[in-house]
Parts: sequence; structure tokens; C-alpha cells
Amino acid sequence: MGNSPYALPAVVIVSLVTVAIGAYGVRLARTTGDFLVASRSVSPRWNAAAIGGEYLSAASFLGVAGLVMKYGVDMLWYPVGFAAGYLALQLFVAAPLRRSGAFTLPDFTEARLGSRALRRLAAAFVVFIGWLYLVPQLQGAGLTLGTVIGAPYWVGAVVVGAVVTVNVASGGMRSITFVQAFQYWLKLTAISFPVAFLLLAWQHDGRPELSPPDRPAFAAQTTVEIDTAVRATVVEPTVVTIAGTLDGVARDGQETLTAGTHEFGAGTRVTLPAGAAVPHVEGPAPPDGLRWLRPGSGDGQHELFGVYSLILATFLGTMGLPHVLVRFYTNPDGRAARRTTLVVLALLGAFYLFPTVYGALGRVYAPELLMTGRTDAVVLVLPGAAIGGVTGQVLAGLVAAGAFAAFLSTSSGLLVSVAGVLSTDVLGRGSMRAVRDFRIAALVAGLVPLFLALQVNGLDVSQVVGLAFAVAASSFCPLLVLGIWWRGLTWAGAAAGLVVGGGSAAAAVLVAVLGPPLEGWAAALVAQPAAWTVPLAFAVMIGVSLATRNRVPADVGRTMLRLHAPDSLLLRGRSPM
Amino acid sequence: MTTDAQPETARVAASPERYSAMAASPEFDGLRRSLRSFVFPMTVAFLAWYLLYVLLSAYARGFMGTKVLGNINVAFVFGILQFVSTFVIAWMYSRYADAKIDPVADRLRAELEAEAA
Repeated sequence: MGNSPYALPAVVIVSLVTVAIGAYGVRLARTTGDFLVASRSVSPRWNAAAIGGEYLSAASFLGVAGLVMKYGVDMLWYPVGFAAGYLALQLFVAAPLRRSGAFTLPDFTEARLGSRALRRLAAAFVVFIGWLYLVPQLQGAGLTLGTVIGAPYWVGAVVVGAVVTVNVASGGMRSITFVQAFQYWLKLTAISFPVAFLLLAWQHDGRPELSPPDRPAFAAQTTVEIDTAVRATVVEPTVVTIAGTLDGVARDGQETLTAGTHEFGAGTRVTLPAGAAVPHVEGPAPPDGLRWLRPGSGDGQHELFGVYSLILATFLGTMGLPHVLVRFYTNPDGRAARRTTLVVLALLGAFYLFPTVYGALGRVYAPELLMTGRTDAVVLVLPGAAIGGVTGQVLAGLVAAGAFAAFLSTSSGLLVSVAGVLSTDVLGRGSMRAVRDFRIAALVAGLVPLFLALQVNGLDVSQVVGLAFAVAASSFCPLLVLGIWWRGLTWAGAAAGLVVGGGSAAAAVLVAVLGPPLEGWAAALVAQPAAWTVPLAFAVMIGVSLATRNRVPADVGRTMLRLHAPDSLLLRGRSPM
Repeated sequence: MTTDAQPETARVAASPERYSAMAASPEFDGLRRSLRSFVFPMTVAFLAWYLLYVLLSAYARGFMGTKVLGNINVAFVFGILQFVSTFVIAWMYSRYADAKIDPVADRLRAELEAEAA
């Protein structure tokens, strides 16, 4: 579907430019400070573009358009959740965290609570969350490359894994900042530029109704190829030509599809006449993994629970994502940290307008995706379907490049933060070998998730990303919020909260990924754990801290002063490292 | 291993006791309180506004589907407004911090420096 001769060169160019910009950054990266936080000298504008670059993962670039196509524009609540997560980060932690003078989350933990053991625990969570987020990025790259150029699954995962590992290992944070800023603008261009053409094509076709009152229909005779077996609901009896399996029986020739649900086997080709109503997939069978996102889509209360749980996870989890946080350490001061957030929110808001257009026009020009359930591919497919010709193919190449940039930039950010923690907390042999340690750590940090991604094919990409948010919201969110705003936090309380809250969320992840399929409430509680694990983490942290009141660090007053007084005070009696 | 701002550290050379006293002072408490009095109500307001959107998407799909202009419906306008409100709150916070938080902190700093000198 949507094969464009320009997609392969576009992906190759993006990868090469990424390596080239990274190599340019290498010349600037000399000290550990450069590697970990780009020596804290990144201006808000660069930093914000880099944050936008790394935050807009494939879930944003591809997933949002697919959701809008399937469920309508009220699905915008999902990207709003991402932006809202940034707002929470801005209001609660951005400036104080920057002032703490720490390089990484474990640094902050140790500086605030003075416990080496707690530091190790925080480091373990950074690595877990980082890898949990990295695996679906690599998987997504494999699937995307499969869609646009028909490459085997492992190719995309290996290419992204290799490019990112080499870049991070050679240039660290300094070069990654340039790379990611470039990738934000590439993604924005890749998604916005074709929109002008798409709208022109739509205008030229006499502005066909985006939401016809009855149902979406095929404008012309359409042949649909089913890659993965799918159950689809046929709205009205339709005469089709089919080659493959229908409802478990091999068919070849003309058939009348009765209204109702039918099962189409993998590899089946169905040709539907012009004017036929588009059959739509029945959830929640894969590959329709996104049904869980829609408010009130199901019959049970637990479905709505899943939505609220996901909202909580994105709102509170953003501040606990290591790759997002590490960017705030790179601001020169707290004021710059605030301005960075402001620019990020503007950049994110501007970006999310465009997937909405793809989703809406997808219903007109690529309705077969509703039948195959591959609505995630609408951004990749639409330019070719709506515009066609060489222009359509060039634009298809452009969006493929943008999608690839999304995988590369998100993975880079994750890798930097995981490698930063691995090198200081696991290898940690002192500043003499710090740069070499960072490189070794980057290699390990990149190879492990690549190995995992090659093992587990078929995980639902968006759901795993949601789980990473949930773990972050149940571990670092309470640690940061209480650590910054409550004097009474003790290391024992923090440790207990991390183990119980973060641990439950992590356990839910393992059950969701490796465990047996669950039904009803059990499935909802495991698939979207944030609604119970976040309150649990806060409660345990506060409760145990109150019980161990005598262990409140002696220098808590000074630490608080440093976190909350503006940088002009610069109370750095003691370096955290 | 901090790599920046070493000279500034030397400039404010007050004793640890001074920090503790400052952290316990009413001015510093006031600083934190004025920050909290902005952050917490704003968070509650934003979450309520956001939940309203989600609830309408779930339970008032007819209303959300009402066309406002051409192909633009209420859900779309609502979604855009969510982004706008997020940005506006962040902008208000930035202004609030510049106007109300930083000056107080600067004064605290001046006091510390005066005592250290």
C-alpha cells in the first residue's frame, strides 16, 4: 500500500543527515557536561525545537491522524493530554528541577534525600521506563518501513537502532540537540506541506462531504488487500469480487456480502464497487489496538476507566519521562526553562492541527483503511491516494521521511537519558573516564531494546507507549512533586513509594505484555494501571514519610531554598555530584 | 562536577546557618505560597476544563458533532481551544513568575549578599 519510489531515498537521506548533523555536534562535544546536558547552554528556542522533535513520536505523527480518521475530531483529547502533560511539568517541576543543579533524575533524588540506595532505585526506574518506551519506537520503525517500501520487519528496527546508537555514542546530548531540532522542523514540514496539496485536491474534487450523513462510501471501485486477518462489519449487502478466505472458507470470484460481521483472512483481496458502503473493522482484535482510546467506545464501565487512566498517565507521566526531563537540565536557568515550555506548547499545538486534516480527508480518499484497520497508515497513504502522479509520490516520500524522523528523534532522546544514567550509576568510574563510559553505556542502552524489539513482534505500539507513561506517572511524578513541594519527604518514604507504586505499574506492564489475555475489569486494570498505581504511590510515599519523620534530611531547608529561590541566588554550597 | 557558574557560587558566600535561617523565614515562605496559590488553582481549573471535553466526547456526541461552519464541528473547536488554553496557562504562569516570584527572590538574594559582605 502506498509504495512510493521516493520513500526509500527519503528515508536514506533522513538517516544520513541525522548522522551528519550528529557528527558535526561531535566536534563540539568535549566534556561530560557536553555529553549529558550539553553544558546547560542550550537556548530556549533550540531546546524547545529539540523537545518538540523528541516528544512527537510516531504515536503523534501517525497515530493521531489514524484516530481522527476512525473516531472523529473529538479524539483530539489524546494529543491534548500530551500537551497538558507539558503544562503539568511546567507548573510543578520545570524551574525547581533546573535549579537543583542535578544532571539526571538519580542525581536529583540523591541531592534531595541524600541516599545512595534510593539513587540506585531511581536509576533502575529510568532504565526500565526508557527501554519500555524505546522498544515500541523500534517496532514502529520496522512496521513503517514495511508499509512504505515493503522491507522486512527487522530492517527498520535495526536501521533506527544503529543510527541512533552511533549518534548518541559519538556526540551525546550536544549533538542530539541539533539533530532533534532539525527533526522537529522536518516533521512539521513533512506533515504540513502536503496538507496544502491535499486541500487543493479536495477543493478540485468539488469538496466531497467529510462526514456524509449515512456512512463513508468508496468513491470508485476499490481493491482492498488484507495483510492481517480482520473481522469487519458490512453495513449493507454488497456484491464484491473476492480472492482469499471469507469466514474461514476459501473463495475466488463474485460473492454477496450480507450485512453483518465477516472475517477476512490474511492475504485476501476484495474488490468493492463504486458507491459501496465501507465495511469497518470490529475491535478490539489486533491490529485495531486503538479502540481502547476512545471515550465511551465500549459497553462496559471499564472501557471508560481505561480512558481516564490514560489521561492521568499522560498528564502526570510526562514529567516523569527521563528523556523529557533531561532536556530541562540543559536550560541555562529556571527562567529559560519556563520559556522553553512555552515555546514547546506552541510548537506542539501547531503540529497537532495537521494530523486532524489527514484524518478527516482520509475518510474521503483512503476509506479502505477503515476496513483493514490500518488507519495508523493514513498519513503515509493519503498523498498517493488523494493526489496521485509524481506529485503524490514525492509527497508520500516526504511524509515517510517525517515518520522516520519521528522514530529517530524520540529514540535518540531516550537513549541519551538511559545512557547517561547507566554511565554515571552503573559504570561510574570517575570523571577521567566519563566520556568513554558514556559511549559504552550508549552501546548497551541501544542494543538491549533492539534485541527485545526483534524478539517481540506484534505488541501494540500505542499501548506500550501508554504503559511507559503510566510507570513514569507512578514513580517519578510522586517523587518529583513531593520532593519539590513537601519538606516532610524522607528517603524511606520515597523508596517505599517507588517500590510499591512504580513496582505495581511495572508489574502491570509485564502482565500486559507477557501474561495471559485477561477479560473485563482485570484487563482494564492491567492495560491502563495509572488510575490506581498513581494514588497508591502518592499514598505510600506520604504515609511512610510521616512514619519515619525523624529521618527528614537535616539540610532540607537549604535544599528547598535552592529549589525554589530563583537562580540569581545560586546557592551552590555543595555540588550534587 | 558542575560545569557552570562557579564564579557566581563564590559571590554568595553565606554560611550554611544563613541558608537555614533564610529557608525558615517568612519571606521565603511567602515566596513558596505565592507560587502555590497560582499553580494549584490553575491545575484544578485546567483539569476540570479538560475533563469536560472528554466527558462531552463520551456522552454528548450529538452536540460535539454539531456543525459550526462548513465542515468544522463543535468537537474540533473544543479541541483547538484545549490547546489554546494549555498555552495560555503556561504563558500566564511565565508572566506571573517574572512579575511576582523573581522580584521577591531577587530581594532575598540582595539581603543574603548584604549580610555576607
